[in-house]
Amino acid sequence: MSERQPPPPNLQLSYRKGDLIVKEGDYGISIYRILKGKVGVTVQSGDKEIRLATLGHGEIIGEITFLNREIEPRSASARALEETEVEVWHPSRLALEYEQTEPIIRYISDQILGRLIRMNKFIGQLGARAFKKPVQPETIASQRSFYRKELDVLCEYRPLDIRKTAWLKGRVRNVSLSGIGLDVGAGNSLNFPHELGKVFRVRMTLPNRKEVEVDAKIVTVRKSGIEGRLDVGLAIVNITEEARKILGFFLMP
Amino acid sequence: MAIDPIVHGYVVKEEQYPDKAVIIEEGSKGDWAYIVLQGRVKVVKKGLKGILTVDTLKEGAVFGEMAMFQKGEAVRTASVIADGPVQVGVLDRERLFDAYATVSTRIKSLIETMIDRLEDTTNAITGLIGKQPGAETDGKVPH
Repeated sequence: MSERQPPPPNLQLSYRKGDLIVKEGDYGISIYRILKGKVGVTVQSGDKEIRLATLGHGEIIGEITFLNREIEPRSASARALEETEVEVWHPSRLALEYEQTEPIIRYISDQILGRLIRMNKFIGQLGARAFKKPVQPETIASQRSFYRKELDVLCEYRPLDIRKTAWLKGRVRNVSLSGIGLDVGAGNSLNFPHELGKVFRVRMTLPNRKEVEVDAKIVTVRKSGIEGRLDVGLAIVNITEEARKILGFFLMP
Repeated sequence: MAIDPIVHGYVVKEEQYPDKAVIIEEGSKGDWAYIVLQGRVKVVKKGLKGILTVDTLKEGAVFGEMAMFQKGEAVRTASVIADGPVQVGVLDRERLFDAYATVSTRIKSLIETMIDRLEDTTNAITGLIGKQPGAETDGKVPH
């Protein structure tokens, strides 16, 4: 990132009830300030979610990862509990402000940060021991939706359930940590039908030149506006930690 | 461990405490902060079933800063007690406030968010331990 370029403007995003804004374990260093709505902060403890806090107007999400300055996955999830609007603060702009902060304040802020991380880990361990029943059974995979980034890059994909190893060509129209939107030809050299439930291996080179490969299942198929093309929505079913990391950084608003 | 000169410069007074002495009492008022110069302190909270240690802080650790940077009334959210003989430094309240006043609005809101979150999390921990079957109990801690 060049110092001379002005940082990108702050972005506003909207989420519906149940949407994940930040997912524990994902990579990303943006900071969010809640403009409207309510957000639940949770950590995973075994197969349960433990609610750490409920946040509202003016409160911040993502401060730990930002202040930690290390590339570490998100320590907690944040989910919209109702219609929510957030303002996204770009980390580079905020990093500059942080550098200009008095050293004594940074010293203290680092200490608070360290304690907060310890306490979050502690509560995760405690929760696993303390509960037999889920505290808040709110992990429903279908509720999860992520910030989706529009793009237009070529990709290669191939069905996983046939033996041929030829790759088909398509275009990636949007991507999130949970899914990919493809624009593909309705017919193809493998005579392979694009049916719901089919699983593909998809590989693409993102605009930042990083290569990502995932396995994804068709969840929607629609005729595109262009004759002979289809809009195919795929849900990611298999992704390596490395690919998740690359996508996470790419998706940073 | 040597104390970082950045923070050492803010120490205006040194205090010694014997083992188990209460340095900060939960629920009391006060908005000044300390640093552990030598020894260790325990951060403890009253739970439904007794006193719980939520954290142990070593040399170089600042404590009491939550009440200092938080908006509203400065009430101590946890007790801090000496874990063995300990030497602590009282930090210059005025200079800290001055330093904090120069911090950008957004960084301030990050710090205040962390403090709120730390308080929520600590309370949640106290609640969890309280609910834990077989948690140690010394009975009649008023709350």
